[in-house]
Amino acid sequence: MKNFSYLLIALFASIIVVSCQKEDDINPNDKNTVILEFDNRVGDQKLVLGTTTAKNSLNEDFTVTRLNYFVSNIALKNENGEVVKFPNQYFLVRQSDPNSLLIKLDNVPAGNYNEVSYMIGVDSLKSVSDVSQRTGVLDPASYGDDFMYWSWNSGYIFFKMEGKSSAIPPNMMNMTEYAFHVGGFGGMTGKTINNLRTITLPMANTAQVRRDVSPQIHVIHDVSKVFNGVNQISIAKTYMVHSPDAGIPIGQNYAKSFIVDHVHNEKD
Amino acid sequence: MVSGLIYLGVACSKDDSPEIEPEVLFRVPPNFPKPVYDFSKNPLTKEGVELGKILFFDGNLSRDGTISCAECHSQPSAFTHHGHDLSHGIDNKIGIRNSMPIQNMAFQKEFFWDGGVFDLDLFSIAPIENPVEMDEKLGNVLEKLRKQEKYTTLFQKAYGSKEITTERFLKALSQFMLTLVSANSLYDKYVRKEAGGILSSEELEGLAIFKQKCASCHSGELFTDLSYRNNGLPVYNKEDTGRQRITAIQTDSYKFKVPSLRNVAMTAPYMHDGRFYSLDAVLNHYTDGVIESKTLDGLLMNNETPGIALTKDEKAKLIAFLKTLTDEEFLKNKKFGI
Ligand code: HEC
Ligand code: HEC
Repeated sequence: MKNFSYLLIALFASIIVVSCQKEDDINPNDKNTVILEFDNRVGDQKLVLGTTTAKNSLNEDFTVTRLNYFVSNIALKNENGEVVKFPNQYFLVRQSDPNSLLIKLDNVPAGNYNEVSYMIGVDSLKSVSDVSQRTGVLDPASYGDDFMYWSWNSGYIFFKMEGKSSAIPPNMMNMTEYAFHVGGFGGMTGKTINNLRTITLPMANTAQVRRDVSPQIHVIHDVSKVFNGVNQISIAKTYMVHSPDAGIPIGQNYAKSFIVDHVHNEKD
Repeated sequence: MVSGLIYLGVACSKDDSPEIEPEVLFRVPPNFPKPVYDFSKNPLTKEGVELGKILFFDGNLSRDGTISCAECHSQPSAFTHHGHDLSHGIDNKIGIRNSMPIQNMAFQKEFFWDGGVFDLDLFSIAPIENPVEMDEKLGNVLEKLRKQEKYTTLFQKAYGSKEITTERFLKALSQFMLTLVSANSLYDKYVRKEAGGILSSEELEGLAIFKQKCASCHSGELFTDLSYRNNGLPVYNKEDTGRQRITAIQTDSYKFKVPSLRNVAMTAPYMHDGRFYSLDAVLNHYTDGVIESKTLDGLLMNNETPGIALTKDEKAKLIAFLKTLTDEEFLKNKKFGI
């Protein structure tokens, strides 16, 4: 018992010591991981695929049955304005796969970061690269039924959201489904639509990377803004989006649908 | 010229008897432009080309095992789909476009009638995943191949290990398609001043008319300037806006790739939707059928009425000339079949 309380005291003492050090010396040789957590929500509701029902500002109901998007070109900016980039790292966030919602960035130098930015999509350089460069989530063979690649108009589908809405006139099979597939990297041989969007988010409380602190940045993505954003999308009118030009208003909307809610700086 | 030749790797190894002529897998014909394809990313090998050919003829690339690439791209028709205006795929489903010949692919920068694919290596995903063509998933195709010893052996031979990856699969198909060079027609022999390269006076007059009236679009030795143009076809399918589907530019609407005319006598039906069944019908279009529209090509508006003026006699001569573009060696070369 006595030993145990000594241990406790020692533990508290060490915490105090470390937390004092925190402010002063950031050892730039220290590296740790940063986790970006993508928390997809519908307004103030949890997003459960196929279940959560919400309404857009035109009072049209909708559910979300599928939500996928590419995240790439992540960068973190520290208090001194220095930017750490994570080139050539591509992630595919799929709401149906909980593991994919946590993006792990390795070897981040110690520092206090107050801004994160990332691209929704696959940059043009990668989009025109040789097949040998297309591995992991960029491998066109990896998508099964849930394509994230347009083969008829070579390029990745950057953002895909599908679901149902009673606002949609039923089709021949009596289905009332919407599908928003947004892509378009600007073209290889000729200029085409560019729907690449870079999202820059300030972080009110900094992400404090230390030898023993690997922060987790909690990003909230509110999918209701995909309908009610810069552009007001009426689901009754716009429910099939399958080309770069049709995707422009959707892309402009989701570009403004992310925020950093908070950052965890717990010790490892 | 030398750089245009890709010899078999083995030809360099010292053990092989020097008497054996190295097999040339790809050669830039002397009258052709420089290839666009970057061979350094996918050096052709005998085994790679062989693998690509076997894949090209394999129905396993489709969902139910019935449709191979060769189904819509058959050699006697310069690797296009003979007898079908719109291509027929799986479950007899019909696409919106006419199949295209596969020839001289190394010289093209974009593929499809609308140029939607900019890299031959990315091309094969499209027919495989198209629901009205092969209706399969690329991932499933690779899984099916991995289960066959025949393929693990063929991949081992082509790439030095058994692994079947997207890159290896797609590049093998490219390798085979790249070897499909057609450049030995009577016309080629004539321009290269080779033995037997003699055109009749009718064919020569046809060539002269062609140069004057057609070669502004069907230019050079590929008989295409590789651009997208509206040659005045009445619109049958409003939805298929051609190049505009890719660029989203209004002024590209109803423009389609200027097709090569090599082997054209063998590739009927004609145009992106296969609406003309004979060369006569094509020429009648140019003389009498050209429709004015916002995007009609300026070159077809030189006369009082839109189109190209041609007499009956000139038409006959043009067709005689177009037939000299048939390359029997290419159409019958056993190397390209299985
Ligand atoms: C069901 C018929 C069908 C099948 C099967 C098919 N194709 Fe095609 N192919 C077409 C049609 C139709 C086009 C033109 C389509 C368009 O422009 O939209 C085409 C165009 C092409 C082109 C473009 C040529 C050019 O000049 O731009 C290539 C290359 C090609 N196919 C290769 C293949 C390969 C490789 C396979 C097998 C993996 C295949 N095709 C399977 C019908 C088919
Ligand atoms: C203004 C440019 C232009 C001119 C001039 C022109 N063509 Fe064409 N040609 C095209 C285009 C574009 C197509 C494809 C159109 C489509 O499918 O929508 C085409 C298609 C064809 C085809 C069909 C080939 C196939 O594989 O389907 C033939 C044959 C042809 N042209 C022959 C000629 C001849 C012969 C002349 C001269 C009398 C000529 N063209 C003049 C642009 C032109």
